[in-house]
Amino acid sequence: MKKWRFLLVMFTVLLLLGACGSNASTGNNAGSGDKNYPSQPLTVVVPNSAGGGNDTAARMMSKLLNDLKLVEQPFTIQNKPGGGQAVGMAEFVTKYKDDYGLYLGSPPTIINYLRKEGNSPYGHNDVTPLGLLYSDIAILAVKADSKYKDLASFVADLKANPEGVSIVGGSGPGSQDHLVVMLLADKLGIDPNKVKYVGYDGSSDALTSILGDNGDALATDLSGISEFVKSGDVRILAVASPERLGGELADIPTYQEQGVDLVYYNWRGVFGPKNMSENAIAFWDEKLKELTETEEFQAELAASGFKPGYMNKEDFTQYLKEQEDMFTDILKKLNMLK
Amino acid sequence: MSTLEFLLHGFSVAFQWYNLLFAFFGVLIGTAVGVLPGIGPMNGVALLLPITASITGTLSPEQAAASGIILLAGIYYGAMYGGSTTSILLNTPGESSSVMTVIDGHQMAKQGRAGAALGISAIGSFVAGIISLLGLILLAKPLSAIAINFGPAEYFSLMILGLLAVSGLVGKSMTKALIMLVMGLLLGTIGIDAVSGAARFTYNIPILYSGISFLTIAVGLFAVGEVFKSILERDSNSGALAKIDKPYPTKQDLKDSALPITRSSFLGFLIGILPGAGATIASAFSYVMEKKLSKNPEKFGKGAIEGVAAPETANNAAAGGAMIPLLTLGIPGSGTTAILMGAFIMYNIQPGPLLFENHPSVVWGLIASMFVGNLMLLILNLPLVKIFAKMISTPVKYLLPLIIAFSIFGVYAVQVNSFDLLLLILCGLFGYFLSKNDFPLPPLVLALVLGPMLENNMMRALTLSNGNYAIFIQKPISAIFLLISVLWLVVPFLLKRRKNKGKNTSVEIGN
Repeated sequence: MKKWRFLLVMFTVLLLLGACGSNASTGNNAGSGDKNYPSQPLTVVVPNSAGGGNDTAARMMSKLLNDLKLVEQPFTIQNKPGGGQAVGMAEFVTKYKDDYGLYLGSPPTIINYLRKEGNSPYGHNDVTPLGLLYSDIAILAVKADSKYKDLASFVADLKANPEGVSIVGGSGPGSQDHLVVMLLADKLGIDPNKVKYVGYDGSSDALTSILGDNGDALATDLSGISEFVKSGDVRILAVASPERLGGELADIPTYQEQGVDLVYYNWRGVFGPKNMSENAIAFWDEKLKELTETEEFQAELAASGFKPGYMNKEDFTQYLKEQEDMFTDILKKLNMLK
Repeated sequence: MSTLEFLLHGFSVAFQWYNLLFAFFGVLIGTAVGVLPGIGPMNGVALLLPITASITGTLSPEQAAASGIILLAGIYYGAMYGGSTTSILLNTPGESSSVMTVIDGHQMAKQGRAGAALGISAIGSFVAGIISLLGLILLAKPLSAIAINFGPAEYFSLMILGLLAVSGLVGKSMTKALIMLVMGLLLGTIGIDAVSGAARFTYNIPILYSGISFLTIAVGLFAVGEVFKSILERDSNSGALAKIDKPYPTKQDLKDSALPITRSSFLGFLIGILPGAGATIASAFSYVMEKKLSKNPEKFGKGAIEGVAAPETANNAAAGGAMIPLLTLGIPGSGTTAILMGAFIMYNIQPGPLLFENHPSVVWGLIASMFVGNLMLLILNLPLVKIFAKMISTPVKYLLPLIIAFSIFGVYAVQVNSFDLLLLILCGLFGYFLSKNDFPLPPLVLALVLGPMLENNMMRALTLSNGNYAIFIQKPISAIFLLISVLWLVVPFLLKRRKNKGKNTSVEIGN
């Protein structure tokens, strides 16, 4: 009987241990509108797998906010990949309703809501935009030993036989990486519907597939790829920025240099739940501005080749409206609009 | 420097007093996390990630990274050790990788051999840990090169084989097993499709958008189902629990398990290397393999120690194998390794092809600490076995409420909504009905976990082949998997027919 009691005590301890921990990932309504906000650990939902562009942004943001003591409470990053960010978006909108959940999204936040096939039930109108952190640059890469040494040889093959070339991307069909491929095809005068696009849940998964010869080229963002460029495993054929990148990536040509008029940025934005309290919105508006102005943040951007371009809550909200119009046009042109 | 020198340097890092302490706390927390259903390795590592950062704050960046990651990795493999406990004692698989352990583990517990089952899991896990570490040290680079060649077609066929193999070997009727398999696949389609982003079977109910949780289904079917069974069939098995003879595995147990543990270590390790396949498939395959190789396959499902040793060894070996794509390529092969990768990034270390060159003391410190940690786990777990094993002799009137409390807590801690609690109870009733009618539960649960991946890879393979299904046969590895799958279904059927025919003819001759 004594042992039984001991067991009971032990399990209670274990239960409590678990219970304390689980609060961190979920939070509750306590503290909404609280002056001491944030008084609990925070969760950032990332709608992609670890190692991708949004994941990098979320981790960099939360790490710097903590390191620079801008926010004292710790962050938990929740990766919810799938459906070209639709799964993570739905998770965030339906399950995170208090001030302790943040969402790190990129253009699919809008695209998924607009596109015809598999449109998400939720979009940027179901969340509160808090700020745009920076923009990432779309790239086209191949494995180091690929027969494609430059964009021209790749384009020639793609034009000659679109069905023989597969392009993999780090987001689902109809979302950002796919759209870049569609835009490229459109600019080259190839029927976008003939181009083979294979979507993965994040750029790290997509990268694996070209390294394993299960795809010919990779269309994704610069983040996460640069390490593989430095190690000599991957070669970038073109970057979609108007000018060349700096630092170690300076010898990679742009699309425009190589005769393709393609410029495409993926913004990384921070969102809160739709009903976030005014107090919390003001808090993040201020902290994100402070964060993006620090030397540490700017150094991170420079090291990774990202384009600075912080927007505060108001500008970002306005920008999202413009983006909605832009994507509506692109999707209409590609016959992918809802 | 040679590999050996690097390893020795790693040990000098791992044997720093604070790193020993970090490893110990890691495995201790990991064991607790593994024992609790719901809080699996993934949640455990995720929850402690922010705390680690503040504990290691005073060390230099490189040291902090090594210590932090040693702690988190400790939680990871510690939780893999602990995962068997609830499967064996409470019929509750806390993670998808311990679903197979339930089959024989809980039977053993009912026969009073819980100690043997728990003991053999700890021993198997230890052996697996050491073998997979050796594999990690010696073969990391060449194996990761092979693993990335696994394309969508190969994954699809591997998962098909895994699902069919399990369905063919659990329960009495293959038809019933296949029904459960399809049911699992169907449940897996609920929610937002990971390929197209289309919402399926959600009927505009927001809670369904993120799909049905594995945890709720598994805990409901197995644990709550078991509770309903005990209540409703109380008279038939009162006092059925046998007395515990020995808290530890006997010599015979060890002898029986030696080969399964060795085989499962290698199998689990190899499957673990494949990104995405992971511990769940590894445990399923090893169980199936041991049942096929066993001289007494009829023992399986009735409390065979090999049936516990194999999956528990394999899932630990797979956890070790999964470190390879993470460390050499920066590709997380499972949810938990994805979070570990986040930990690397948090310490400004980019896992990837340059990791071994740029941060040798972190990587080799981690590898060395895993040797130390595995040893600690073995020492830690064997006395715990004795305590846990006693639990099974708890009177039913205390045990049942405890299981219910445990299940509800576990599910609520992860899902935090009342919908999943209702679903849990519903699954419990359903689980009782199913097991009463001899419908095996593992195929349903495994199909629910693997279904979305199966579908994803099928869509990708078909995109690559321009919609041509021949891709699954044109790729040699994929073709071999599919061939085995077909044989798996057809051969027993043919054998049975031949047997029946044989009977008929002999009857005719008799006439």
